[in-house]
Amino acid sequence: MSFSSLDFYLATVVVIFGVDVLSAWGLNLQYGYAGIPNFSFIVFQAAGAYTAAILTLGPMTATSGQTYVAGTHVPFPVALLAAVAAGAALSAVIGVFAMKRMRADYQAAILLILALILNQFIVTDTSLFNGTSGLANVSRPLGSLVNPSTTGWQWAYAALVWAICAVVLFAVQRLSRSSWGRALRAQRDHDAAAAALGCNVVALKMQVFVIGGAIAGLSGGLLVFYLQAFNTASWGYEETLAIFVSILIGGVANNWGVILGTFLVQIVFVEVPNLLPQFGYIGLVDALEWVVIGLLWMAAIALRPQGVIPERRVRAERFGLPALRRALPAATAAAAPGQQGAHEERLGATGGASRR
Amino acid sequence: MSSVVVESIGFGIVDASIISIGAMGFSLQFGLTNVFNIAYGTVLTLGAFAAYLAEQWGVVGWYDVLIGAGVGVIATWLIGKGILATFARRNLGLFELITVSLAVELVVQYSVDAADGEQLFSYSFDQGRALRFLGMVFTVTEVEIIGVAVGAFVLLECLLRLTKTGKALRAVAEEPRLARACGIPTSRIVNVAWVLSGALAGVAGVVYIINSLTVSAFTGTDFLPLLLAAAILGRAGSVSGAVVASLAIGIATQLVAAVGGTGYSTIAGFGILVLVLLARPGGVTSGLALKTEVTL
Repeated sequence: MSFSSLDFYLATVVVIFGVDVLSAWGLNLQYGYAGIPNFSFIVFQAAGAYTAAILTLGPMTATSGQTYVAGTHVPFPVALLAAVAAGAALSAVIGVFAMKRMRADYQAAILLILALILNQFIVTDTSLFNGTSGLANVSRPLGSLVNPSTTGWQWAYAALVWAICAVVLFAVQRLSRSSWGRALRAQRDHDAAAAALGCNVVALKMQVFVIGGAIAGLSGGLLVFYLQAFNTASWGYEETLAIFVSILIGGVANNWGVILGTFLVQIVFVEVPNLLPQFGYIGLVDALEWVVIGLLWMAAIALRPQGVIPERRVRAERFGLPALRRALPAATAAAAPGQQGAHEERLGATGGASRR
Repeated sequence: MSSVVVESIGFGIVDASIISIGAMGFSLQFGLTNVFNIAYGTVLTLGAFAAYLAEQWGVVGWYDVLIGAGVGVIATWLIGKGILATFARRNLGLFELITVSLAVELVVQYSVDAADGEQLFSYSFDQGRALRFLGMVFTVTEVEIIGVAVGAFVLLECLLRLTKTGKALRAVAEEPRLARACGIPTSRIVNVAWVLSGALAGVAGVVYIINSLTVSAFTGTDFLPLLLAAAILGRAGSVSGAVVASLAIGIATQLVAAVGGTGYSTIAGFGILVLVLLARPGGVTSGLALKTEVTL
């Protein structure tokens, strides 16, 4: 492998890693912090990718050789924001019925089947996003700053992706530590108790579902501008499982652990085999990768369900009891003065209750 | 009614027969164990592949169904007693168990895919001459498939209604703790359910490829959502419910196929499952919505 092709490959891995970390944070917010088994996560990434693609491909022409809807030319930042909006909007639509209170395995099955339905729908109706062939020739953004056909552009884009990652990490960390994040974890650990303390469980799930969807849309937009092409094979339901495994291995409800998990699963297991000499027929390595992902999944659940870097225990002192008292005026007012101390201790403990 | 609609109903009845064989098995399994076992789809695939291999070795015709049933029992036993029960002993929740079954599905499906070179194999089965009945067209084989489904249904109903084991099966499906308190050997009854559902899954897989004449690593997985929809719509644990629901789903998807093409018929089948899961969060009756205990 010559130096330039290694340089090209490394830049690609760095970009893909950033995109995968972004989507893992989005799913971690939904699954890790809120306990939503979102098996259709990849659909929202696809929504962002398709939106960003059609908004920059320009109007459909007879010579472009692909069929799609609503082709326009908008600037790169606008297209990226539209991708975020698309992920959030689709999440809102699906969340309306999928976030109802129901058995966890039924919710998981519904979301899994939705991922199959939507993929099948795009395959069948080729007028939307060109079916299985997918959209191609998406132009690379920021061409006026760096020549898009150089590895310099790739590294510049990698820097942009990771800058966005830094912003998103800051946001998800702030969110998870906020009172909203504590309420999320409270309803995950015991939804009846959280509801009794005044949390609107369905609204909380809906909010985190939409926020996660927005992050998924963002990752999809960033991905499509790098790959320049996107088709239905890019978002099979298995892709969501790979993100899930990253989270399970790295650390459920731990955004730093998720980086490690994504590195181990998406880079070491999925990308590095591309560097090895090919063996067998084309596609054998891909099929074996899914076998490994499935085995990793079972091993993760059997051996260490909380991940390599588990969720940090949150201590009640960090928020201070006055804050809790403000948050729960009715509860504290009702408590008799003599029992107040013990009552608050219990309330504080719910914030730090561990997953299992 | 136009002839297209009548013909679609005919195709729907054939589809429904295949769906009902699998759905009866899933209904029995899910009703007794309360595990949403997605790996059931790979049992269909394994049964179908066993039939394909048997055909390659010269065993043709309906003997393949028996081979499929045997392979189905073995595969279900390994998945249910070997993997799912092991995980259930760790006090995992319903969500963790569905993910484990999904992981099993992924592993088996892609192992088959890797082993067979990602191909679509064709299975040959003499379809016989076409028969006309009330404007619907059936081949001899299709009539026989309907016969297999009816036979499986009658046998299963007789088992459930007339034998002591059947009574115990129904009792455990209804309320496992009470059944155990009454002295029913719950784990032995659950084993019976694993065996019966495995056999039905294997038969369903073979009958499916007798009708479609192709088999790949994804055969069972692609067919699974229809089975799940029928089993849950028909009330988990109820064999007759599964059959009625299969008829509704088979005919509905064929009508959609007649109007909008096969792509949309798949979407319609999956859509029915989503609606069923949303509308029946308990799966059975509202009382069972709270049933979160797993019996393995």
